[in-house]
Amino acid sequence: MKRASKIFTALMFIFLFAPIAILLLFSFNEARSLSVFSGFSLKWYRELLRDTETLKTVRNTLVLAVCAAGVSTVMGTAAAVGIHRMRSRYLRSALDMVTNIPMINPDIITGISMMLMFVFVSRLLGLANSLSFVTLLIAHITFCLPYVILQVLPKLRQMDASLPEAAMDLGCTPWGAFWKVELPELMPAIVTGMIMAFTLSLDDFVISYFTTGTGFQTLPIRIYNMTKKTVTPDMYALATLIFFVILALLLLSNLTDSEDGQKVRAARRAKRAAGRRAPMSPRTRRILYAGGGTLALAALAASLIFAVTETDDRPPVLNVYNWGEYISDGSEGSMDVVKEFESWYRQQYGRPVQVNYTTFASNEDMYAKLSSGAVSYDVIIPSDYMIARMIAEDMLLPLDFDNIPNAQYISDDFRGLYYDPDNAYSVPYAYGVVGVIYNANVVDQADTGTWDLLWNEKYAGQILQFNNSRDAFGTAMYRAGLDVNADDHGPWDRALDDLLEQRSVVRSYVMDEVYNMMESGEAAVAPYYAGDYFTMLDAQADTVDLRFYYPEPTNFYIDAMCIPSCCQNKELAETFINFMLSEGPAIANAEYTYYASPNTLVYENQAYIDYMGQEAMDILYPDWGGFTEKYNAYAYRNLPFDTLNYINSLWETLKIN
Amino acid sequence: MNKKARRGSLVTGVTSAPYQLWAVIFIVVPLIFVAYYAFTDNDFRFTTDNITRFFTATSSVTGAGGATGEVRTYMVIVWRSVRLAFLSTVVCLLLGYPLAYIISRASDRAQKTMMTLIMIPMWMNFLIRTYAWMTILQDTGILNNLLAALHLGRVHIIGTETAVVIGMVYDYLPYMILPLYSIMAKMDHRLIEAARDLGCAPAGVLRRVILPLSMPGVVNGVTMVLIPSISTFYISQKLGDGMFFLLGDAIEGQYVAGNLHFAAAIAFILMVALLAAMGVMRRLTDKYTYGGQ
Repeated sequence: MKRASKIFTALMFIFLFAPIAILLLFSFNEARSLSVFSGFSLKWYRELLRDTETLKTVRNTLVLAVCAAGVSTVMGTAAAVGIHRMRSRYLRSALDMVTNIPMINPDIITGISMMLMFVFVSRLLGLANSLSFVTLLIAHITFCLPYVILQVLPKLRQMDASLPEAAMDLGCTPWGAFWKVELPELMPAIVTGMIMAFTLSLDDFVISYFTTGTGFQTLPIRIYNMTKKTVTPDMYALATLIFFVILALLLLSNLTDSEDGQKVRAARRAKRAAGRRAPMSPRTRRILYAGGGTLALAALAASLIFAVTETDDRPPVLNVYNWGEYISDGSEGSMDVVKEFESWYRQQYGRPVQVNYTTFASNEDMYAKLSSGAVSYDVIIPSDYMIARMIAEDMLLPLDFDNIPNAQYISDDFRGLYYDPDNAYSVPYAYGVVGVIYNANVVDQADTGTWDLLWNEKYAGQILQFNNSRDAFGTAMYRAGLDVNADDHGPWDRALDDLLEQRSVVRSYVMDEVYNMMESGEAAVAPYYAGDYFTMLDAQADTVDLRFYYPEPTNFYIDAMCIPSCCQNKELAETFINFMLSEGPAIANAEYTYYASPNTLVYENQAYIDYMGQEAMDILYPDWGGFTEKYNAYAYRNLPFDTLNYINSLWETLKIN
Repeated sequence: MNKKARRGSLVTGVTSAPYQLWAVIFIVVPLIFVAYYAFTDNDFRFTTDNITRFFTATSSVTGAGGATGEVRTYMVIVWRSVRLAFLSTVVCLLLGYPLAYIISRASDRAQKTMMTLIMIPMWMNFLIRTYAWMTILQDTGILNNLLAALHLGRVHIIGTETAVVIGMVYDYLPYMILPLYSIMAKMDHRLIEAARDLGCAPAGVLRRVILPLSMPGVVNGVTMVLIPSISTFYISQKLGDGMFFLLGDAIEGQYVAGNLHFAAAIAFILMVALLAAMGVMRRLTDKYTYGGQ
C-alpha cells in the first residue's frame, strides 16, 4: 500500500512536470522551434532580457495578479464568513448562486459582458478612454472572488461551531472569537484561495483581452497575440526562469520553516483551552502573515502610485495597435523600431515621445475593440477587407500626405486597390500571398503546382488545412474557380462539398501549429503565406526538405497603416507612419517578418536583396504580370453579415462531420 | 444565546456587504447584458430566433458507412463537449482524489512541498504548456520517439479525443486537487482510525468515513474542473488538431464572425443549463453531507 502510493505519487508528478521539462529543454534550443532541437544555446535568455516589451508585460501581469489576489482574498473571506452566518436561507442560497456565476460563465462571455457594461457606463459618464487598468482589475477581482469563497466556505461548514461559541462564553467578543479562533482555523483555506486567485489572474487571457484598455497589456495576451506568427522560444526561457524562481522560493521557505505545524497547532489548541496565551511560534507566524500582507499592500500602493505618477508627467503618447510579432523588435540583433522612433523623435523635435505598442490576434478582435468606443489608438495596421469595412463605417480618418512624404516610395502597384480606391485612408505596410508548402522528401514533384495537392489521397493524413473558415473555404473556391466573395449561397455550398471530401485526407486544421508540424515532418503539405515559409525553412529538421509554390489563382492580402477616428494626436501618428516608411525601419520590418514589402526603398535595396537571398526574392517578389488586377480580382472583400453567418454555419457542419 | 446570535448577525451584515454590492454590480448586471444580447437581433429588437436556432439548426453528416443523415448541429456539439468534459472530470477525480489523500497524510513539510509542486505548472502560461503537450504527443514527438527507442511501437494520439482529454486533465487537475486537499488536511484522522479499530474494511472506511467527510471538496473540485473543460476552445484547437468543435469553439467562432447575439445566446443556454445542474448537485450533496451527520 505504502509503496503503491509512492509510485502513484511519483507518476503523477512526472505527468505534471513532463511539459515543464520540454519547455526547459527547448528554451536552450538554438533554432526558433519547439519541435526540432538543433543545438544548445543561451541566446533566447539574452533575447528575453533585452526584450523590454515582454518584460513590461511581465511587470503588468504581476502587479495585476497581486492586486486582484489581495482584494479578492480579503473581500472573499469576509463574504464567506458572512454567507456562512447568514440566517436567511433564501438570501444565502441566492448569494450562493450568484457566487457560482463567474465560474459557470465561459470566460469569453464574462469578458464580453463586462466589456459591454464598462462601455455603457463610460458613455453614460462621458469618459473617452474607459477601458483601463481599473476595469481589468475589476474583472480579475470578479472572477477570482468565487474561488476564494469556495475555498473558505466548505472549511467554515466543516469547522466545529462550538469553538467560537465556547470562546464567546468565556468572554470573547464575536470579533475576538473570529480573530482568535476562527481565522487561524481558516488560514490554510484562505491562503489556498489567495494562491488560486493569484494563479488564475496570472494565467487569464480571454477576460483580460476584452477588459484591458489602451496601453496596458499582460503577458498571456502578448503570447496569445503571437499566434499569427509563432510563439518564440524566449517565452520558454521566461517560463523556465519563473520555474526556477518559484523552486528557489520553495526551497528557501522549507529550509527556514522546520517546525511541525500539526504539533504546534495541537499545542496552541491545548494551551488556549488551558486559558494561557498562545505559544510564540503561531504568534510569530501571525506577525509574518501580517508582515507579508503589509508588504504586499505596500507593493500594491507603490505600484499604483508609480502607475499614476507615470501618467501624470508622461510625454505625449502614441498608441500603436498592430498584429502580434509584426514589427522588428530588436531580437537577434535586429532594429528595435519602436525605440528607434522614440530616440529619432527626440533628436528631431527636441522633446520626448512615448510609444505604447499593443498587439491584437485578428482583424475581428481589433474591430470589436475599436467599435466599442472604449479605447483610443492613434495608428492601427488592419488588413484590406477590414479597412474597407472601417472606411464604410466612418471609423478611419483621411491621411494628410504632406506629413507622410515617404508614401511616394510605395510602388504604383499598390495604388487604386479596391479597399481604398483613392489612396486616402491607408498606406500599405506589408502584403502576403497564400502558397503551398510541401516536404520534398515525401511529396512527388509531379503532384505539385496546383491546389489539387491539398486533396491528393496519396498524402492522406499528411495534409494540413487552415483552421479558419474564410481561408479554408478560399482554398476550395480558388481550386474550383469560384468567386471567393460570392453573395449567394451556391458557391459556398459547392466549396463545402469539396472540403467535406477533403476532410478524410486532412491531418489537422491549423493556424500557428503549422510551424511545428511542417518543421518536424509531422505533416507534408500545408497552405500558408510565402513569408512564413522562410520562418519554417530556418528551423526545419534534417529529415525535412521544405519547398514552396504558388497555385493559380490564389489569395492576396495587404495590411496597411491607418489612423482610426478615435486618434488623439493625428500629426504625431502621421509622423510615425512616415518613419515606418523610411528606409531603415522599413527594411528592418521586412527582414523581421519575412513578408513582402510594397516599399521600393525596401525591395530595390541591394543590402536587403543580399540579406534575403535571390531564391527568397524570387518567391516573395515574382513577376505577377499585373499585380493590381490580380489583387482586385482575388483578394477577400468584406462580406455582408448574412453571408458571413452562412459561411460560419457551413464551417460548423464541416467540423462536426 | 439569543444575544450572541444577534451579535453574530451584526458581524455578518458588515462582512458580506461589500461582496453583496460587488456581486450585484459586476456579476448580475453583466449577466443581464448577456440575456439582453441573447434575446435581441442586430438592431436590438426582441427576438427568440437565436435561441430557436440553437435547438433546431441542422447539418447533413456523412456517417461511417457513407450514409448521409441530418443531425442537429448544436446538439452534436453539446453532446461532444459534455462527454469530453465529463470524461476529463472523472479522470481528474480518479487521479486527484488519491493524490490529495496521500498528500494530506504526509508530513507537514512534505505536504507543503507537494502542494507547491502541484501549483508550479499553473504559474507557467497555459498556452505555452499546451504547446509543450503538442511536442510530446505528436506522431514525431517525444513520446513516440521514446516508445520507438524501447521497441514498443508507435501510438497516434494527437488529434484524437484522448489528446484533448489529456490536455484538459493536465490543465485542470490542480483545480481538483486543491479543494480536495484543503478539506482532507482538516479531516480528523482519528475518525478513520476509530472506524478501522471497530473493524471496518478499507472499502467501508472510504465509503462511510472518508468520502462523506471530503464531500464538499469533491463538489468544489468537480465544479472547478467541469466548468472550464466544458467551455474550453484553446485545448481542443491545439491538441485536437482542429478536428473537434466544442461549445467554446462555437462561441468563439460566432464572436469572430461578428455574431455577438448568437454567441450570447449559446452562452446564455450553457449558463442556464450549468446553473441548473450545479443547483441539483449542491442540493443532493448538502443532503448527503449534512443529513449524514
